Amino acid sequence: MLKKALLTLPIALAVTGAIAAQAPEDVLDRLVTKAGSPTYLTQSPQNRMMMPDNPAYLVADDGEKLFKEKRGPLNASLEQCDFGEGPGVLKGAYVELPRYFADTGKVMDLETRLVYCMKTLQGFKDDDPQIKKRHGNDSDMMKLQTYIAMQSNGMPWNPPLSHPLEKAMRDAGEVMFYRRAGKMDFACATCHGATGLRIRASVLPNMGVPEEWTKAISWPAFRVGQENVRSSQHRLLECLWQMRYPNLKPGSDASIALISFWTDAARGQPAIIPDMKR
Amino acid sequence: MSKITPIAAAVAAASMFLVTGQVIGQQAPPATAGATAPKAAPAASDAAAVKRPEPLKKRAPEKAPGQQTEVLIMDAQGIRMAPATLSAKLLAEYLILESAGFDLAQPTQEGTTGKDRLVQDDIQKLCSLGKGEQLDSKTAARVSELAMATIKYPEGGVKLGDWKKGRDLAWSGFGFRTAHNPDDHNKQPPGANCYNCHQLATDRTGGTIGPPLTAYGKLRGSSEEILKYTYGVIYNAHAYFPCTNMPRMGAKAVLTEEQIADVMAYLIDPASPVNTAAMSGMSGM
Repeated sequence: MLKKALLTLPIALAVTGAIAAQAPEDVLDRLVTKAGSPTYLTQSPQNRMMMPDNPAYLVADDGEKLFKEKRGPLNASLEQCDFGEGPGVLKGAYVELPRYFADTGKVMDLETRLVYCMKTLQGFKDDDPQIKKRHGNDSDMMKLQTYIAMQSNGMPWNPPLSHPLEKAMRDAGEVMFYRRAGKMDFACATCHGATGLRIRASVLPNMGVPEEWTKAISWPAFRVGQENVRSSQHRLLECLWQMRYPNLKPGSDASIALISFWTDAARGQPAIIPDMKR
Repeated sequence: MSKITPIAAAVAAASMFLVTGQVIGQQAPPATAGATAPKAAPAASDAAAVKRPEPLKKRAPEKAPGQQTEVLIMDAQGIRMAPATLSAKLLAEYLILESAGFDLAQPTQEGTTGKDRLVQDDIQKLCSLGKGEQLDSKTAARVSELAMATIKYPEGGVKLGDWKKGRDLAWSGFGFRTAHNPDDHNKQPPGANCYNCHQLATDRTGGTIGPPLTAYGKLRGSSEEILKYTYGVIYNAHAYFPCTNMPRMGAKAVLTEEQIADVMAYLIDPASPVNTAAMSGMSGM
């Protein structure tokens, strides 16, 4: 009996592996079938067609090399970096971020955690270009983030809320999502509270529908209009810019509270990484 | 701490709570609390000198054992551990206005600062409705009243401007953006952002966050009442639609009186494409 169970184990693992290993476009296609009103998910057939040739894969290839390469003043790779699942474990780590890390006493998202590892393991400083440059295909940040996040493609978002600080940050993020401010009185909810709304020709994702919201938060994604792979932090920055808010410090607790809330809002739905967006 | 704001006091009070809990020593705090508690002590004692520490001490033993581990600490490194006494709303205010997350000193095009953009006024506070929250009639009336009081009508009555200028304004989404890429108003004047949310004429695609306004003047005419109403809606739409998503274009000085007149001409002038467009060609409906 035990022997039989052991024999079937690899098959079960292989099946799970197969689901996780599906291409991002397959994840998207299944969501389109599942979602009741998939206007947001289907707004660009061109982008859907290009997904198998997503330039983000090239960026991720560079990221894999950087991840394994011994770099920095301490001449170390990032293979011992703990993204929450243990040192060096990347599979499924991203869909469980942001989370609380006991070694820093903080809730951290992918970017903040990556910066932490580059500083502690590799000895980079805040002003080093490896850390300072946060955006663009040619930045170490985006190469590494894309590679790391891709290891969670197809897996359901599942950010932990068991630590009180994780819960507190998520709840504060929810308040921020609905909080109106700025020259134009905008809150996140102004644009992301209903399905099928558009700003000009762009269909907006609804935070309240996890099946479409998962695509909205699936970063890194290649933004066709910008010809660059972009991060969650970059998405936040661009929204806040349009909202007429002041600049947001990358990795700030304010940014992580918002990302905690928006990730929780997609809970249970599969991540599409790398995605391709307009 | 030279000045204690309500948020800072509340946050410090939450830190105080941790220290109190530890002094009482009723239970072991979580792994990291011991390491971070000393850093919070100065803030806590500052707050104790200004804000009532006694009730907190008294309240602490009333807490069920096991809940005292929920505490919040702030220091130069940011937020550590979790709040027991701090509501999500207070923490959000702290994160926005006191945690150095946003560039509060960033200059704005109107000569204020990033902080001025983020501090909520009455209407923003009343209209920040959370999930499932409905606007009650009393609040709606209050918002409407507040908004109505802000509207300054032009001397000599509301008149239409130049619809062609209005068209350019309606199309432009430029202006007042700051963050990582501030709009330079010397290079380009700020626009009215109308097409972001509204369909107007049918030669361009508008958004759907606001209602379509195609044939606005054709349907409503240009009576004095309509002119006054339209001016009011652009100036401060909350007067007519409390807690609307529509920005307060006049009350928040996004548009000048003259620009509002131009946008109104685009909406109401019979020669404007908004009114000459065939209704059947309307999109975004």
